[in-house]
Amino acid sequence: MANSAYNPYTIAQEQFDKAADILNLDKASRDLLRTPMKEFHFSIPVRMDDGIRRIFKGFRIMHNDARGPAKGGIRFHPHETVDTMRALSMLMSWKTAVADLPLGGGKGGVICDPHDLSLNEQEQICRGWVRQNFKNIGANIDVPAPELMTNAQHMLWMLDEYETITGERQPGFITGKPVGMGGSLGRKEATGYGVMLCVREALKELNIKPSNTTASFQGFGNVAQNAIELYTKMGGKILCVSSWNQQDMEEISFCKEDGIDLLELKKIADPFGGIDKIKAKDLGYQVIAGNEWIKKNVDILVPAAVENQINEDNIELISEKVKIIAEGANSPTNPKVEPRIHTKDIKLIPDLLANSGGAICSYFEQVQSNMNYYWDKNEVFGKLDQKITAAYISISEFAKKNKMNMREAAYIIAVDRVAVACRERGWV
Amino acid sequence: MENKESLGQLIRSLRERAKEIKCLYQVQELLNNQSLSSEELCNKIVKIIPQGFQYPDVCKVKIIFNNKQFFYKKFSETKWELNSKIIVRNEIVGQIKVFYTEERPNEDEGAFLKDERKLLDSISDQLGMQILHKQLKSVFEEGQLKVKEMKSEWWIILDLLKRTDPRLLVNIAQKMLNYLCLSGIAEAEKFLDEFNPSFKKKTELFKDNNFPMSVVETYDILNKSTFVFDIASRHISEGDILDSIQKWIKEDRSGFMVNMLENTSSSLSDISNAIERYHHLSTQGLELSKPRAKSFRVALTRRILTDQPGFIEIAKEHIRVDDFNNLMKTIIHPSGSHGKVGGKSSGLFLAQHILKNSVEDKEIAKRVKFPKSWYIASDGLLEFMNYNSLEDIVEQKYKDISQVRQEYPYVIHVFKNSSFPPDIVKGLSLALEDLGDDPLIVRSSSLLEDRLGTSFAGKYKSLFIANQGTKEERLEQLTDAVTEVYASTFGPDPIEYRDEHSLLDYLEEMGIIIQQVVGNKVGHYFLPSFAGVAFSNNEYRWSPRLERDDGLIRVVPGLGTRAVDRISDDYPSMISPGKPDLRVNSTIEEKIKDSPKKLDVINLKTRKFETIELRELLEKHGNEYPFIHNIVSELEDRYLRIPRLIGHDYKKNLHIVTFEGLTTKTAVISDIRELLNIFKEKYNSPIDIEFAHDGKDLYILQCRPQSFNEDNHPVEIPDNTLDKDILFSADKHISNGLVSDITHIVYVDPAAYSEIESHEDLMTVGKVVGKLNKILPKRQFILLGPGRWGSRGDIKLGVNITYSDINNTSMLIEIAKKMDEYVPDLSFGTHFFQDLVEANIKYLPLYPDDGKSIFNEKYFMRSKNHLSEILPDYAYLENVIKVIDISETTNGNNLHIFMNSEIPKAVAVFLEPTGNISLKRKKAGSEYKRIKSDLHWKWRLSYAQEIALAIDTERFGVKAFYIFGSVKNATAVPSSDIDIIIHFSGSEEQKNDLSNWLDGWDQCLSRVNYFNTGHKMGKILDVHFITDKDIAKKTSYALKIGALTDAARPLQLRTVIKEA
Repeated sequence: MANSAYNPYTIAQEQFDKAADILNLDKASRDLLRTPMKEFHFSIPVRMDDGIRRIFKGFRIMHNDARGPAKGGIRFHPHETVDTMRALSMLMSWKTAVADLPLGGGKGGVICDPHDLSLNEQEQICRGWVRQNFKNIGANIDVPAPELMTNAQHMLWMLDEYETITGERQPGFITGKPVGMGGSLGRKEATGYGVMLCVREALKELNIKPSNTTASFQGFGNVAQNAIELYTKMGGKILCVSSWNQQDMEEISFCKEDGIDLLELKKIADPFGGIDKIKAKDLGYQVIAGNEWIKKNVDILVPAAVENQINEDNIELISEKVKIIAEGANSPTNPKVEPRIHTKDIKLIPDLLANSGGAICSYFEQVQSNMNYYWDKNEVFGKLDQKITAAYISISEFAKKNKMNMREAAYIIAVDRVAVACRERGWV
Repeated sequence: MENKESLGQLIRSLRERAKEIKCLYQVQELLNNQSLSSEELCNKIVKIIPQGFQYPDVCKVKIIFNNKQFFYKKFSETKWELNSKIIVRNEIVGQIKVFYTEERPNEDEGAFLKDERKLLDSISDQLGMQILHKQLKSVFEEGQLKVKEMKSEWWIILDLLKRTDPRLLVNIAQKMLNYLCLSGIAEAEKFLDEFNPSFKKKTELFKDNNFPMSVVETYDILNKSTFVFDIASRHISEGDILDSIQKWIKEDRSGFMVNMLENTSSSLSDISNAIERYHHLSTQGLELSKPRAKSFRVALTRRILTDQPGFIEIAKEHIRVDDFNNLMKTIIHPSGSHGKVGGKSSGLFLAQHILKNSVEDKEIAKRVKFPKSWYIASDGLLEFMNYNSLEDIVEQKYKDISQVRQEYPYVIHVFKNSSFPPDIVKGLSLALEDLGDDPLIVRSSSLLEDRLGTSFAGKYKSLFIANQGTKEERLEQLTDAVTEVYASTFGPDPIEYRDEHSLLDYLEEMGIIIQQVVGNKVGHYFLPSFAGVAFSNNEYRWSPRLERDDGLIRVVPGLGTRAVDRISDDYPSMISPGKPDLRVNSTIEEKIKDSPKKLDVINLKTRKFETIELRELLEKHGNEYPFIHNIVSELEDRYLRIPRLIGHDYKKNLHIVTFEGLTTKTAVISDIRELLNIFKEKYNSPIDIEFAHDGKDLYILQCRPQSFNEDNHPVEIPDNTLDKDILFSADKHISNGLVSDITHIVYVDPAAYSEIESHEDLMTVGKVVGKLNKILPKRQFILLGPGRWGSRGDIKLGVNITYSDINNTSMLIEIAKKMDEYVPDLSFGTHFFQDLVEANIKYLPLYPDDGKSIFNEKYFMRSKNHLSEILPDYAYLENVIKVIDISETTNGNNLHIFMNSEIPKAVAVFLEPTGNISLKRKKAGSEYKRIKSDLHWKWRLSYAQEIALAIDTERFGVKAFYIFGSVKNATAVPSSDIDIIIHFSGSEEQKNDLSNWLDGWDQCLSRVNYFNTGHKMGKILDVHFITDKDIAKKTSYALKIGALTDAARPLQLRTVIKEA
């Protein structure tokens, strides 16, 4: 019975198998890409604050590095399973390939719960992780990054340990560092901007001027705010934005027929993008409880909050006018209703592509760190534009050519790119 | 105008007082100079005394002593005279005379002030003492020369006493006799009868025992006393006799204290004078024997602080007699007062002296401070009421609680318009002078407060005052605050609470403590850098690595009010002083979400207590805020950084309260930990302290045995329950509290959950829990599930929910059931730990495979599952999610969960609903009771029925009217709403009309609820409209109608007779 239980790795493999069928990959390619190329499992001894020794299990999984050094996060989680990390490392290979970055895919982590660990103990775990694994990672081998329950602080500890062992300064060993300590400018804006750069390309294809469009957003967090900023600069008008109200425990939509004002809303929002209802009313917003945002008569919908927001309950509420849905969040669309979106003739920009701005900027951080020269913001944004536009065009064209939707196209193109790299290297 | 005059007078009297004190110090200094002869002393003192008087330029002094006169520059005596006798051993040996050479306006005693009389008396007292000292000294010196050929040293003393103080000699002789008898010397025992007058004249005893011994008798006994010492010299060594005599002479000097303290009629001011006298004597070498010192400490504690035996037991070990001297100077009391300072003040005073007197680590005693405080004695309240003829108000407490509540605003109004007796006003004015113009807090310090088991926490008022403006305005602010705190004694909450704890008949005397608010000006606000409350025992442990006695600190920036009370719209930071590095939150998102975002401050401009946004304060005044770099961390690009001390820009980025600097870079947390340990050891019980920090020092604001809220009290575990009635038990990581009257269980089966194949189904389980959370009766169901509720990253570890999916449960339970080879770690509710704490949702971990605990898995398997009826769309998850109606499976019983962290143990038992329990338990004599628990649903139900009958069904288009939830289930609490379903078939317009009509009822019922319970609710009627369509489709609340579990109950509607 236990074997039939939900396993993310099995699901990732099944998804890959489908792509492999479409691409008609040979057995060697399938065998290579179906499983990670390298796995490292190791024990990290840590002396706890109370003097007791504890052993933590650490991992690094490298799925594939045919296209370049592997890239992927390090997560701290109390019950991490190797299978989850295998699945995630595979996903990283596709993610870097979609954006056409010269990188591979990896993932790693430690089985631990930071809620039960002091910062000092967490530091020991980070340093221990590097000590046990430093030979297998590095700027030109495999580059870690922050993920679930790890952040910039953990990256700095790891970097410091790595540099101490190797005796060199190698900021490109890891990403997710703070600005001034090897981090890249523009990181905060990158994902949100990326979403809108994709929308811009989509509008170009539809031959519509951004300044003639309206949009409605779900969420007012970092991604949404930056996407709104760029969209407003492009001349678009936002009729509605929704945010989660912690006090009332419900979603609330803030609407204004002549367009919302990002700056004034930012002033009355908390760090999570929760907008103050009363102050918003005073500013002349229509404050409506629930998912009003999705019903709006707009050209563009941007779900940029959490997963599974467009589903059977509300798919029919989407206006006839909507032409584009850009997935700013991860998996905001329930797979069951996705075919209905396509039949409505709405262009769905899939999350894999739409929110790849973050991954691209992370790559930029790596590049800048490696040459120890850091760009100004505009240079970062300029390069981001180039990268993501190119990615959009190639996927969109691939989709048209092969008569598939963009989500399928993005996935297939990614697998194809990795498979080709392996072939050209003579591995398969 | 009148006020201004009296103010001028006050200032003048203060100035006078300062002069007097200065004068007294100068005299003291002279007296301490041993090289001066008595004559030289007198010559110098006559020059000093005039400086202490109101009109020094016309003031002349003459001392007559040893038949000599001492004065400075010759003058002739006038009729404006004040004089005081110099007494040595009860004999007048001279006097000090003070004259005004010219006439001056009349004061208390001729042209002289009351305080000037005191000054003069005190100088002559001390001069007398000094003269005696010198006499004795010369006798000793003389004696020492002759000691070899003469009798022993002690004979010289006795000789001297015979001449100078026969009373003392007799006294000492008696003590010696007693001592000899106690030592078993037969010779002495025989003498006992002869010596003691009361033995000799038994028959006369009752006649004259009210009179002092007559001179003749004394003379007689005086001679006999020589025999006593003869006996002594034969049995005891010379040294011992001398030591004893010296000891008794010293003790005799403190005899006045004994008299004062034993006499129950002596007032606070008598005691105060006695202590002051004692204080002066003690600087001159007055020593007390240990038992006498202890008895003084006990007596003083009882008279001045509190008469709780438990408190006295501790206090007598740590507070010295002399320590009361400074305290007395800061107690404001009516004349002839017999009041005390009350619980809160006593606790603080004790804490202060534990640190001062009884702690080895003197460093911590130096580091920790106590805010300057003044006190009003507890009978100040009665005096205030007498003065304003408000005695009737005392009867408030015997009125019906709704009447008390209704009349309370009137009580406040009357109190605020009353005036204080002049004694108190004068005292308050002195207090203001001493406390300066920083803001103050006026707190109650009731005699009933802080008694064992009765914590009036939050029942009485504490008021902050800005204390700004002219002295007159400040005095007005202060008196206003005191009256309001006084009025709160007669508020409905304390009266109700006293009623519940059988304390109603106690005379409610209320002490007041007036404390300087610890803090600094930041912009035009005044606030401590941070403040909070610390507990010896942590009853909210967020990690299995935390022990109960690691303690808990709840801390916030600004005033501590936000840390003390549970707050619904924000979070205080929680730190474990034993393991400060194990924080509640570990990810940046959690740190941001659960950090305090508001702070309480005193606005010096508006002179009001306000709650402001931290973000705004930091943007404007971040760099002026002392210690802020230890309180917040700067958030830049997903990186939290402790701000630099200098040159940090608080405007640029968002700052989050993390107290990271405090825990990692300062000793404050370890100091608090040490304080908790010290006080816990000395109190011999866990304690809690309130503290504040001004950026430089840590201050203790309150200290008392650890208190519990009503809802986190350790609960007695029923011991007579049968195993079959127990659903589960646990003994690890238990908190405190009773969760009673649970009617429903939502159980996510761990095994079935782990076997779910698709990610989507796993997600759906969370979604279904969220839906059940909205449908099941609020706070009457519990959630049990595998592993980690709200798990992120790996959904298999626990049901994926957010806080909003579980916010109506009364308890969250995690089951650590053994899977394959390992027992999963639990989350301890960590993802929303602070939400649970603030909402009082209990958390409990269960370890079913742990041999000792009970886990009745069969109950979950066998009980009928209502999921498919309640949410038919999700019937396919029936093997994973069970919804159980408890009363259906147990013949009308509810589930009650008893938790006691002290044992530690938690048990979930099926028992009758609490209404019935209270009766049964009361009979058995147990203290467990629920007061008036049926009150809340009864009136709600009867009003609901009334509304139903009043509805014009035709006009509003109403087809049926149902009630459900806590009112129907008879489990309503003061904050419960009335859940109503209206089957509606009218137009939109009719619906609007109906809503308006119901709004009227709503307002009226909210008011009724307020009068009954004091609970203010915005809305009490929770109305849900359903239509025919809903009923047909069984959507929305239509499910409740005819439901198998917790079905809504129809109420009768008005029958409309239609005309034919």
